[in-house]
Parts: sequence; structure tokens; C-alpha cells
Amino acid sequence: MSLRSRLMNVFRAGKVEAELDEELQFHVDARIHDLMATGMMREAAAREVARRFGNPLRLREQSRDVKLLPWLDSIVRDVRLGARMLRKNAVVTGASVASLSLALGACLAAFSLVDALILRPLPVRQPEQLVYLAFPTYSPERPEADTFNDPLFLRLRDASREHVDLFAMSTQVIRPAVLPGAGDEKERLRTQYVSGDAFERLGVGPALGRLLTGQDDERPGAHPVAVLSHAFWMRRFGGDPAVVGRWVVVEGRQLQIGGVAEPRFMGVEPGRPTDLWLPYMMYNPRAFGNPQFGWFRVLGRMQDGIPLEQAQSVLQAAFTSVRREYAPKVFGPERSPDSVERFLETPLYLRSASTGPSPLRGQFERSLWILAAIAALVLLIAGSNVANLFLARTAAREREMALRLSIGAGRRRLIQQMLIESALVAGAACALGLLFAELAGPAVVGMLASADDPVQLDLRLDWRLAAVAGGLTLLTTAVFGIAPALRASRVAPMVALKTGAGRSVTGAGLMRPFVAMQVGFGLVVLFVGSLLVLSFARLSSVNPGFATSDVLLLSLEPTGRMAASEQRSALLQVLDRLKEVPGVMAVSSAESNALGRAWTHNVRVPGTGRETVEATMMPVTPGYFETMTIPLIAGRGFAASDLEPKSTAIIVNAAFAARYFRGEAAVGRTVDIRFADVDDSGLHEVVGVVADTRYDLRKPAAPAIYIPLSLRSTGTVHVRVAGDPAPFAARLREEVRAASPSLRVTSAISQSALVDRTILRERLLALLSGFFALVGLALAAVGLYGVLSYAVVQRTREIGIRVALGARQLRVVRTVLAEIGPAVLIGGAGGLAGGLYLSRYARALLFEVTPFDFWSLALPLATFLLAGLLAALLPAMRAARVDPVIALRYE
Amino acid sequence: MARQDALQGSLPLLVLKLLARRGPLHGYGLTTQIEGMSDETLRVEEGSLYPALHRLEEAGWIKARWTTTDTGRRARVYEITAAGRKQLASEEVRWKAITAAVGRILKHA
Repeated sequence: MSLRSRLMNVFRAGKVEAELDEELQFHVDARIHDLMATGMMREAAAREVARRFGNPLRLREQSRDVKLLPWLDSIVRDVRLGARMLRKNAVVTGASVASLSLALGACLAAFSLVDALILRPLPVRQPEQLVYLAFPTYSPERPEADTFNDPLFLRLRDASREHVDLFAMSTQVIRPAVLPGAGDEKERLRTQYVSGDAFERLGVGPALGRLLTGQDDERPGAHPVAVLSHAFWMRRFGGDPAVVGRWVVVEGRQLQIGGVAEPRFMGVEPGRPTDLWLPYMMYNPRAFGNPQFGWFRVLGRMQDGIPLEQAQSVLQAAFTSVRREYAPKVFGPERSPDSVERFLETPLYLRSASTGPSPLRGQFERSLWILAAIAALVLLIAGSNVANLFLARTAAREREMALRLSIGAGRRRLIQQMLIESALVAGAACALGLLFAELAGPAVVGMLASADDPVQLDLRLDWRLAAVAGGLTLLTTAVFGIAPALRASRVAPMVALKTGAGRSVTGAGLMRPFVAMQVGFGLVVLFVGSLLVLSFARLSSVNPGFATSDVLLLSLEPTGRMAASEQRSALLQVLDRLKEVPGVMAVSSAESNALGRAWTHNVRVPGTGRETVEATMMPVTPGYFETMTIPLIAGRGFAASDLEPKSTAIIVNAAFAARYFRGEAAVGRTVDIRFADVDDSGLHEVVGVVADTRYDLRKPAAPAIYIPLSLRSTGTVHVRVAGDPAPFAARLREEVRAASPSLRVTSAISQSALVDRTILRERLLALLSGFFALVGLALAAVGLYGVLSYAVVQRTREIGIRVALGARQLRVVRTVLAEIGPAVLIGGAGGLAGGLYLSRYARALLFEVTPFDFWSLALPLATFLLAGLLAALLPAMRAARVDPVIALRYE
Repeated sequence: MARQDALQGSLPLLVLKLLARRGPLHGYGLTTQIEGMSDETLRVEEGSLYPALHRLEEAGWIKARWTTTDTGRRARVYEITAAGRKQLASEEVRWKAITAAVGRILKHA
């Protein structure tokens, strides 16, 4: 009989077995027949044969083992038996699978997010060789910068040629573009300007046509080429090769499509795939040779065998020498030696870019890890629950186990049987969990993004995720299946069979470690979750300093090509028209929203002896402060006359006045604002001071300068209306169209929606961690309930005797609770310590909440205590109500 | 239990020999043949006969088929294969060598 036939036999084991039985039965019958022929009575003959045969089951097992592959056969049999046992206990099985799959799914979803955003290396040649440059800015609002300007980049690149190949990639920006065959219609493309050698350095090839090369790096404005990403090419052009050679228009410049990049490369920022790459040299011409115009990241590929430190020291030397040359321009005549020294000694960091530089990662990395940790803890809680359920079931099946042991089943087989049952549960949970993760992952990604700033994370189901899923299943089985399995194998047949039905010898003691674990982890999850929820509650109640509820924001865009002066007058027409609409209280325009600093600028405050300082620039039209209800503290607001080009009026916020004028009267002081692209004297006069507004709800107000919008172009129209702004949107769009055909509304959104969007991360964290905290709490409570109920059932007789002997009800309850009391206390203490320890990692994400606050500690503890009491209540009542007569008569 | 021990290790040899000489037999037939021919000196323990038969079958030295007996019952009979005959020859040589060696020691020790 070959291996194949033995393998086949495993799956037709029933038939093989029937044949074995038939063969043996023939033998038995024949022997009995012969013995009877010698004059023996039938019964005596049968007895004699049975004696000679020994244990027929064992005999059958031995022959089976010859005919089948014993190990495979036993597994197949155990899977069948396990499935039958699990079906018999449908409720227990369902609860186990449901809780495990929820936890496993959360873990898998968290892992797929962590993998996509944090762990997965860029799909380029030797990503570990990639680096990017950054330096500290010493500004509290943004401690580190990674944007560089053209002259600095050239100096750094030339200085380090021997060590690292530097190349430039602008940050990705959504720009309107006109694509071939689309007439005049603008589409919003995620574009990125890259130096010509970037693709070569990254090791990315074309799927079609050509990519940019070093030859595209020669002269500003002389390389009208564009490269499509493969995904965008497929999505927008359906993979049509004829699109190569046709023209696109981006920011008014015509560019010819040169080719399509290979499919795996989607740009260097995870979560932000690029649609269109443009040559560095085709960027705004004013950027070239301009040290004030920072607009791109510097990446590089380390040359073979060059240590990072060596390249860093070379780059540092070049960086410092450039700064030395700039220092006289950056600092006015009255410079303070300290700040000059700090400026010159600014370090240049060389960071690994193997996973790509990503602001999105910076924003969400910690949150994702925390969510992953919470999901893992919930998995442990769910797993402990399953382990206890299995332990309780093992106890209920003690007689079955004892019977199997006494008729010759090996202990190994029993352990295998139990492990296979838990593997079945874990496997089913894992399959469901994968399904759950497939749905939950994209939902979470959707929450990271906003409509005009989509995030696309590649959450594919790849071998990494499969490995994690498989590993988690194995781990769950091993950790939570092993205790019940060992327990099952340790049944002493004599004791188990002798004790009456319904009574078991398994104490609740084995469950104690799991109870402690559940309480501990449940508390950790609840503690961290409630910190994040509390923090979100505080954050969403912050007053940003301006009206959020009844302001509608309209983004405007010119419908065609028009001069700046035409644009401005069109805008003024629109503003005037909107003011007349019934229900509109105030109208103004600002270049950007008050939240999220659109641009910052280095200005100098004469008479302070300081280097240039960073200020948020807010170009606004007259009426802005009324629209936003920002109180005027001193001086005046903007007037219509300030829109004239010769006006030098500026208004600063209280933070600017406090930081740079040190409480002296600000009105009448001057500030030196030198715009690289505007030719003016630079000295502006402060005509008013307004109250602070936050550009970020989490942070105190930054120094800001309001300038008349006329200095720049159009922007966002702010409209304050009476009541709910949503119904106004359609009406206002019409009014804009009527006021000026040359402008159109591209989007309309309420200020409050925009504010909500800025606290997306906290909302996401609070929502998910709060949810998992509740799941963890519920699971832990169910676990407690289960173990206590079990303890009561198991000790019913003992309780009956105690009651019969005169024990008080309270004392009985206490005895039962004492069974798990120490475990709960140990778990609770451990959980609290663990929670406080873990919360250090969450601290950076917390807003005005610390782990040692009264509420931070009281809320989770009280919740947990309540849940614990609820869980203990029913079993305790059952214990107290035990009727000694019934309990003792039972046997 | 001595009788059982006497058979230790020689059961496959006896099974092969009987099947070679007497043609197809079922398990019970083998038992009675062994017991009858040895005047009940050798008594086959049923517990070891069937696993042994199945091992021989697994090794390919005997093969089994179902037949119907005179009384109309299905019985599984075994017959020796070509490979089994080869195995029997070498087993017989080995067995004779061993018994001869044991006999010499008993005689001369």
C-alpha cells in the first residue's frame, strides 16, 4: 500500500474502519462458532473470545495506523470531532469566534495601516540607501523644516558629489491642469516638481515613453515635459499609449507628456500618490537663484560604502558656509550675537528616506501605533475569554475525557484534540477578521482624509498581512488553547468518573491568571481610551478666537485667463453683490482660512535687535474682522483705501504685539516685510491690533500679520449669515455667477466643517480607542461574569453545606468572590501601572489632559468598577440564593 | 503467556509460509492453521495477528480481497504476492540460521 493510498484512506477512513470491523467480527464469530462446537455455551464462548481479543478498539486503532497516515488521520478525525463539539456548543463557539474575530480584525486593520504608512519600504531600487535633509527652525510652531531653496540645493549638491547624489522633489501640491482632449476644463491633479535626475537616482524606469533625465535639468523654463503616474494614466486615460506626445497645461505652462512611470512607483510620500511629475526647471521662474524661495525637499542616494556621518559632515560644512554668506542679509544692522550664532550653528540632519519622507506619517504614526497596541490588548482580552470558556467546557467534558483516557486514548491525543478545537475557533475568527480588516482599513483611511486632500493608502492583502494573520492565529491557539488542553489531559479517570454527573474536579483556579490578565488589559485599554476621549472633548470645545458656526467659505477661481487687476476688481464686485443678499451679515475675502497657516514669512521688527522672525501672513479684505467676529483691541481695521497699492497699513495680532513689541503700544510701529516678488520699500506701519485666533486648535496663537488682500490675488470669500449657513450655499453660488462671469465657486464649506477637519486625528483616535475601550471592557466584564458563574455552579454543593450549617448569605457571597478577588486586584494594579506607563507614549497626542489628572484616573476606574460589580452581581445573587435542600439532594 | 512469546518475531514468517503453501486464507483460518499444525504449542494472539497482517499488506508482501464463505458471509482473505515469496525465502534462510545457531549453543554450551 503506497503513501498515496494511505493518504487517500485518511479521507475515506469510514470505509476503511467498517472493513476492519467486519474483518474482526468475522474472526470473532468464527471463533465463537468453533468454541461452541467443542461444547461451550455461547456466553462463555463470547467471554473467552473477548478475553483473547483484548481491547477491540485498540486493535482497530493499531490496524488503522497501518492502513492510514496516523498523524494525518488523527488530525482529520479531531477536526471532525472538534467541529461537531463546537457546533454542539453553538453559543459558546459563536461568542468566542465573534469576540476573537473583532479583535483579530482590528489587529489586522491596524497592521495594514501601520504597514502601508510606516513600515513598507518605497518600491524603488535599494530604498535603504535613500536619505533626505532637514534642519531645525527654532520656531515653536514648526520645530523642523525640510524645504530648501534653489541656490542652497545647488551648493549642497556640488559639495557632496563624492558621497551622496542629491536630487530635488517638491512637496506634492494639487494644481489645476488642463489635460489633452478635455477642452478648457481644469482638473485637479496631484503634481510634483522633481529634478531631472530624480527617477534615475530612485531607480524608477518608464512603463511607456521616457521619464525625465539629467538633460531636463539645464535651464529654467526650457524643459516642457511631463510624466504621468501609471495609476493616473490608467484611471484618466484608460492606459491609452497615444497620450504620449500630447500636451497638458499646468499653471499656464504648456508641457508635453513624455511618458508613464512604472506601475509600482507612486511617488515618495506614502498615502499621497502623485499623478503628474514636472521638471524642476519648469517651476515658477522667480524661484531660481532666490534664497528666500523654499519649495522642495532634498533627497539623496548614499553612494556605496560611504557612512552617513561622513556625508553629513561634508553637507554640514557647505550648509554652514552658505548660512555665513546669508547672515548679513538675514540680520539687520542691529543684530544680536546670540541669534547670529544660533543661525550659523544650525545643524543639518541627514535622515533615512527608505520609507519616504511623509508629513502624513509624522501626523499619524503615533496614533496608529497606539491604536495597534489597543487592538492587540483587546485581542489578548478576547483570547483570555476564549481560554476561560474552553476551560469551563473542558471541565464540563471531564467525563468524556476520562472515558476516552480509560479506554486507551493517549494524553497526547487529548491535548491534540483540544488544541485543534481552539485552532478551529482561531482559524474561523481569523478568516472573519481578515474580512473585517478589509472593510475597516479603507474606512479608517477615509477618515484620515478630507474631500480636497484625499489620502490613498495601499492596503493590499499581501504576504505580510497574511503572515501576520497566520501568526496571530497560531499565537492565539497556542496561548489560549494550551491551558485547556493541558487541563483536559490531566483528568484522573477514576476521580472524574466516580464523581457524580454535573460535578467537576476542575477548580476555577486555572482561570485566575486569565482573569488577572483580562482585568489588567481591560483597564489599560480603558485608561488610554478615556484619556484620548477626554482630550478630544477638550480640544473640540476650544474657542479658536473666531466665529465658526455661521460662516460659509466660498473658494473662487477665475474661469479664464485674466490679469491680476481684473481679478481684483471682479472679486470686489462679488463682495459688494454678496453683501446685498438678504440674511448675509458680513462679507470679506481672505487668501486662506484662519486655520492652518497658509504661508509664513520672515519679517524684521526694527528696534528690537533680533534676527528676522517668522510671522503668519494673512492677506484679507476690509470687513474680515467683522465677518469673523475677531475683536479689535487697538487702532483701526482695514478701510477700502488700504486696498490701494501705495498703502502700507498692516494689522498685527495680540501675540505678535506681545512677543515683538513687548507690551509697548504697537499702533504706529513699523515692520519690515520684504517680499521677494513685490518691489516695495518693505516698511509697513501697524495701524491696529486684533485679538488672537488659533491657526491650530491644539496650539496657542502664533504671531500673525494681516495685510490688505490687494497685495496678493483672490482667495476664499468668507460670508457670515444669520442662522445655518448650509442652505445659503446654492444661493451664494448663483450670486457669484451673476456678479462676475469671470469668477466661479469651486467649493463651498462651512467654517465649522473646516474646523472639525483639523482635529481629524484626535477624532479618529478618540472614536476608535473609545470603541475598543468599550469592547475591551465588555469582554472583560463578560469574562468575570463567566468565571464567577462557573465558580458558583461548581461549588453549589459546598455552598449548600455551608448554608445548611448556618452560614450567612453575605458570607457565602464573599467566599465565592474571594475565589477571584486576588486575581482581580493583581490585574487591576498591573493594569493601572501599565496604563500609566503606556500613556507616556500617548502624551504627545493629548490636549490639556495628563494621565495623572483626577478625571483621567477616576473615569476609567469608576467605569471598570461599575462593570465589574455588574458582572459579579448575578453570580453573587445566585450563590446567595442556593437552597441547601436542593443543592444537597442533587446527588 | 509463554506460548505467545514463543511466537514473537516469527509470526510474519509463519503467515507468509502458510499463504505460500496453502493458498488464500482469512485471518481466522491462519490462526487455526498455526494452532493446529503446532499442536496448540503456538497460539496466535488475535491482538497481534491483524496488525501484523495489515503491516504485511502495507509492505506489499501479501494482498487482500473480499470473498464469500460457504455460509454466505463476506470474509477478507489474504494471498502472498511475488514480493512476498522473495521475502519468505530470505526470512526462511535467516530463521534457519538463527535456530541453528541457538541449537549449537544449547548443545555445546
